[in-house]
Amino acid sequence: MATLDELMRLPAAMAAFEFRGSGELLDQRIAYPERINETTLDLLAHMCAANMSIATMQARGWEKVTAMKGFYPIQEFTLVGFDWSVVVSGFRREQIKSEGKTSLPPLMGVVLGNEKADYEAAFAVLEGQEPIP
Amino acid sequence: MSMIRRILALDGVNVICHFRDDGYLLEGYGLMGRDDMVRLAQFAHDYRRMIQGNADQLAMFTGMRGWTPPHGWIARGAVQSVCGVGNLVCIVEGADAPMNEILLELREISHW
Repeated sequence: MATLDELMRLPAAMAAFEFRGSGELLDQRIAYPERINETTLDLLAHMCAANMSIATMQARGWEKVTAMKGFYPIQEFTLVGFDWSVVVSGFRREQIKSEGKTSLPPLMGVVLGNEKADYEAAFAVLEGQEPIP
Repeated sequence: MSMIRRILALDGVNVICHFRDDGYLLEGYGLMGRDDMVRLAQFAHDYRRMIQGNADQLAMFTGMRGWTPPHGWIARGAVQSVCGVGNLVCIVEGADAPMNEILLELREISHW
């Protein structure tokens, strides 16, 4: 499972955070406190939790109406903003859910500067595939 | 040949659609029937508006600049991902797809 410190080693990482499925911020690391603070991360976490839920609903509906598979469950949601991006993941939660467990870990996310953002690296860390050296 | 078709040359990209500002499908290519492309275009149009609204509200509530207007979004499933930039949307298969390159291409083509 990715840690906040691993996420902070991603290129252009501004902040990393953990949050509940309901959006409450649980923990964070902030590289540039003059640009992003805990209050902003809390709102961002709530926005991301809402988007994970909406995307999950849409994946469910899309699979039902088209008979295509592989969208549900949503593992990551990414918003590419004008200068910043946020990538959040419920990958580990989905793995644990599929094992039949009910106690779920928090979701995790990272805020990246767009200029050097590496989305593939972010997915890899969030999915626990490649720890950043 | 339509320029958006070149996106299909990238690994993992199975479908690419271009839609109007009201969600009407202008053109679509790849492994999907026309009816589903129409649905995909409408979905991506709605999703784009939702993301725009979220970014606007985030900026308004926090005072943090740099979120809006957003460039795009990715919803990543276990096998399939949906990726939207501007009035383009594509479906990408596989966890190893070159998402950085796909986003760059979509962004470049969306400016044409």
